[in-house]
Amino acid sequence: MPGKSFLHKLNPLTKVVWSLAVITLAFVYQQPLPILSLWASVLAVALIGKVLREILPAIRGLIIFAAIFFLFQVFLIDEGQVVFTLVPGTGIGRITDVGLKACTMLALRMLAMTSTIPVLLATTPPKDMIVAFVEKLKVPYVYALMLVTSLRFIPTLQEELSLVIQAQRARAYDLEGRNIIKRFLALIPLALPLLLMSVQRARTMAISMETRAFGAGPRTSLHTSTFQLLDIGVISSCLLLTAVLAVVSLH
Amino acid sequence: MEPIIKVENFTFYYPDSQAPALEGINLTVREGEFLGLTGPAGAGKTTLALALNGIIPNFQGGRMGGKVMVAGLDTAKTPCARLAGVIGSVFQDPEAQLVAEVVEDELAFGLENLAVSREEIQRRIGAALEMVGIASLRHRSLRELSGGQKQKVAIAAAVALRPRVLVLDEPTSELDPQGTVEIVALLQRLNRDYGITILLIEQKISVLAPRVPRLVCLNKGRIVADASPRQILAQEKLTTELGLEVPPVTALFRMLRRAGVYQGDLPLEVDEGQRELGRLLGSRASRA
Ligand SMILES: Nc1ncnc2c1ncn2[C@@H]1O[C@H](COP(=O)(O)OP(=O)(O)OP(=O)(O)O)[C@@H](O)[C@H]1O
Ligand SMILES: [Mg+2]
Repeated sequence: MPGKSFLHKLNPLTKVVWSLAVITLAFVYQQPLPILSLWASVLAVALIGKVLREILPAIRGLIIFAAIFFLFQVFLIDEGQVVFTLVPGTGIGRITDVGLKACTMLALRMLAMTSTIPVLLATTPPKDMIVAFVEKLKVPYVYALMLVTSLRFIPTLQEELSLVIQAQRARAYDLEGRNIIKRFLALIPLALPLLLMSVQRARTMAISMETRAFGAGPRTSLHTSTFQLLDIGVISSCLLLTAVLAVVSLH
Repeated sequence: MEPIIKVENFTFYYPDSQAPALEGINLTVREGEFLGLTGPAGAGKTTLALALNGIIPNFQGGRMGGKVMVAGLDTAKTPCARLAGVIGSVFQDPEAQLVAEVVEDELAFGLENLAVSREEIQRRIGAALEMVGIASLRHRSLRELSGGQKQKVAIAAAVALRPRVLVLDEPTSELDPQGTVEIVALLQRLNRDYGITILLIEQKISVLAPRVPRLVCLNKGRIVADASPRQILAQEKLTTELGLEVPPVTALFRMLRRAGVYQGDLPLEVDEGQRELGRLLGSRASRA
């Protein structure tokens, strides 16, 4: 992974600063267009960092999530002019202009804020994240390790979920062609074996760590976390740019 | 010389369990031995491994009786971290026992925990990778490695702490026959060249039998046999009771023995069997 692009070379904390800058701006902006450009800038960073293709599935997931969020909220607001009604002539499923705008903002804001996370994960080896958190932010090692190992288990869990689905399907357990509630309920028998497997996994990992003196006391570290000139440059430009953009948009 | 492992009348109950997982275990292992441990599912093999590396009783609760001594340390009175430098452990699931992303970092983990200096960590990682024969994997991502390679990394990570004993709990159960043979050969080498005492838990007896001088069999929490594999495989009642997968060549010669045709040692491997068969046929032919 190292040396793939300038993003990979940055200290993880520099990328966290960039994330925070994006989050700040997402809250400052009150119009859809600036937020949309903020989101575009995040994707542009991913493109320059040569990870856009890699994070596309994650971005698609975030878009779906934002869309669901939008749909759940948009019917709840009844202030303002009605622009659309799901069942004409009744009050069912009406959407107002105020609701439309507020929910669009909310969804876009969420999208812009969360899109930095896949960029961060795709360009940072987890161990660098641990080292940076522990050395620079003085996060206790246990917590940093916990966070990172749980992230590491996600692909394994995904693999196992698809295995379990296949196994259940082999037993003629039908998942498709039901309504959403039934599908959700159908997931419960899938979740149980998955949960048991993860519990067993976690136990093995804990034991394996214990037999290698984990938590024995103060520890050393093979790697160190350093800030390069590039990091300092990126951090200062992020801070400066955020401040300028915030001031401009608040006026 | 004092034995490296001395288990005395050890009994263990998991919390809330009526039946003991282990009962009245007595086991003495001399330094430098290569010991096989086998038995059916639920026999207590894993429990015994956990008792040796101190997870029982330091980490896993339950009721215990008796005593486990490893390299002169009473495991019940010694923190796991102290035992880590004496006894190394490798587990069944190659995935779950690894904590890092990159091979080098996996080996560093234990050394970092023991607060070894950075230069010394580098040196010890290099040495352990050499010993296990995976120096070329040093900077590889663990995700890209095969199950067998992952198990070698787990072994190297244990070896990096310079233990005197290695306990391996079915390290090959998820590997193909080729990977299994490789791991066992590696363990033989660590045992022979570096004098590390090895306790290998294994259900695939056909792999184990030709390679270990001593085999301990567990059943229902008790040690039911402790002898050479040849002596154990000769006992038909015992192997049936334990559900041991007897190598076909051994089974064949057991039949020949029963028929009174053969009197020699039971062969454990095919080429050994071929030789014996050749001799047998030769002597019959010359008599005729
Ligand atoms: N964490 C636990 N809690 C309660 N009981 C347990 C636990 N682990 C094992 N046991 C029980 O203790 C007994 C011995 O189990 P152990 O795992 O030591 O057997 P094993 O010989 O390693 O079996 P396998 O070949 O399946 O790995 C079994 O009856 C098992 O059900
Ligand atoms: Mg077991």
